[in-house]
Amino acid sequence: MSAELRVEGLRRGFGGAVVLDGIDLTVPAGGCVALLGPSGTGKSTVLRLVAGLDTPDAGRVTAGGRDLSGLAPERRGTALVGQRPRLFPHLSVLDNVAFPLAVAGRRRGAARAEAAGHLDLVGLGDLARRRPATLSGGQEQRVALARALAANPAVLLLDEPFSALDPGVRAEMHRLLADLRSAVSPTVLLVTHDRQEAAALADTVAVLLDGRIAQHDAVEALHTRPASLAVHRFLGGLVEVPGRVEDGAHVSALGRLVLPCPAPAGPGVLVVRQEAVGLVTAGDPAADATGAVGRVAPRGARSLVEVTTAAGTLAAEAGPGLAPPVGATVGLVLPVAQRWVVAQPAAG
Amino acid sequence: MSRVAPARRRAGVAPRVALLLAWFAVPLVPLLLWAAADRWSYPAVLPTDWGTTGWRQALDQGALPALGRSVLLGLAVAALATPAGAMAGRALALHRVPARRVVEALLLAPVAVPPFAVVMGLTTLALRLAIPAGAGLVVVLAVSAVPYTVFVMRAAYAGHDVGMEEEARTLGAGPRAVLLRVHLPLLAPALATAAFLAFLVGWSDYVVTLVVGGGRLVTLPMLVGALSSATGNDAVVAAVSLTAVLPPLALLVATALLARRGAR
Repeated sequence: MSAELRVEGLRRGFGGAVVLDGIDLTVPAGGCVALLGPSGTGKSTVLRLVAGLDTPDAGRVTAGGRDLSGLAPERRGTALVGQRPRLFPHLSVLDNVAFPLAVAGRRRGAARAEAAGHLDLVGLGDLARRRPATLSGGQEQRVALARALAANPAVLLLDEPFSALDPGVRAEMHRLLADLRSAVSPTVLLVTHDRQEAAALADTVAVLLDGRIAQHDAVEALHTRPASLAVHRFLGGLVEVPGRVEDGAHVSALGRLVLPCPAPAGPGVLVVRQEAVGLVTAGDPAADATGAVGRVAPRGARSLVEVTTAAGTLAAEAGPGLAPPVGATVGLVLPVAQRWVVAQPAAG
Repeated sequence: MSRVAPARRRAGVAPRVALLLAWFAVPLVPLLLWAAADRWSYPAVLPTDWGTTGWRQALDQGALPALGRSVLLGLAVAALATPAGAMAGRALALHRVPARRVVEALLLAPVAVPPFAVVMGLTTLALRLAIPAGAGLVVVLAVSAVPYTVFVMRAAYAGHDVGMEEEARTLGAGPRAVLLRVHLPLLAPALATAAFLAFLVGWSDYVVTLVVGGGRLVTLPMLVGALSSATGNDAVVAAVSLTAVLPPLALLVATALLARRGAR
């Protein structure tokens, strides 16, 4: 019974400080949207407002066209799973999952039978009789997911559900969530501060910056066509070339760089993902910029190469064993298709 | 190394636990012996005549009705002081309380002020208002028990995760279902401990019962006091004292078991 979730003009302040300044967000029925933002920007507050655990100063939330304003949390059909798996310690694993069914008035036998199905769905059918305290962190979070699904929610709200888990377990949980989505296709609103997690789990990602949705788009579009310099930086973008747009080209200290699509004339910052920037030899005619390697930082198998150019420090990612030595003069290629211009933020 | 450490620690703990148990148990040994002695003349190490005279005399002196009154008194005090302590503890732990220090001091005051000092004045008041002695006694003892229940419940609420109840709400549980299926089960061990302490306040009180009841309300401690000062018959005193020890001991075990179940 997944339903479209629609959040309109949601505002919430705490003691004079505005935390959410008009949030608009739509999660299509059966879709998964990740709400991505730095810590302390009110991502969890959005979930609490949707779940009815907190009251907005303005704005409204609808699920499947039903206005949820003023409804008590238990009448909204918005099950919440938090970062800590809050299983009831006095109930067995099976009775934890059966809890939403029991409070809905189902008979104990029927509730347990249905709960067993949900427990199987998360692959923990064998642990039905165990106490929550005897489970591992990953197992506990699986049970918490099964319990939330047992409530048959219109919208499933996940608040950093996997951030406290070990990386290996987290990857496992990502696969599980993907499986659950294809099995029961709930509508999911996922809050996370982890860009990789957002990219791995969600259909689209909404970036929450300064109390507003700065951009809501597909993952790739967020990276290659950010709506603002803030979004580009928040997503880890390191290549910024200040300049101005003239006649379909960006003019800066690097010279005139042709743009793949029209951009409004005037001041603008050229951004390219460092992953897309090519490293070539200094004399290569294809090079858009030339400079000395200032720093090489390993990033797993790849390395991040910082190059000091006429337009400031730019960056490129080099494959395994391909990073040039520090001090070497190299050329950088900013591929035309990857170029994108964002507005120059106001000074200060 | 890590496999050896717990075993070694256990080996170090055992003698200390044994010592502690002995500390509690040793005073009970003469009591047990006296309760089973018909005669115990001075130089003998063990009673010279075994028998149940002490118990029969205790029954004759009204030990059973006194036991009943003490149980009722303890239960009534627990029934009043536990919910009061839960509410105050919850407020102190989870909410903003105006003049918090003053409130905390007031809640602790009954421990600091000797109860008979308060009771002397209250008795006259209770007599004038024609409040039955039993009811007055329960109320006064409940007030002396509140500091203990507040202390226990406050600690319990400080460690209580409100998020647990919030998630239960989002899973479809209304306030009533959350109270019955989540809140009370989670706090059951603490509530049991608080109730146990409050029960003990009523169970073991002597002074307040004497003053408010005017000597007509005979509870178990009153009986022990009367018998030990009057007869000099150690067997009957031992029998009544044992009766006074066993119920709290049984409750203590029950509370501990409940707390362990809650911790798992």
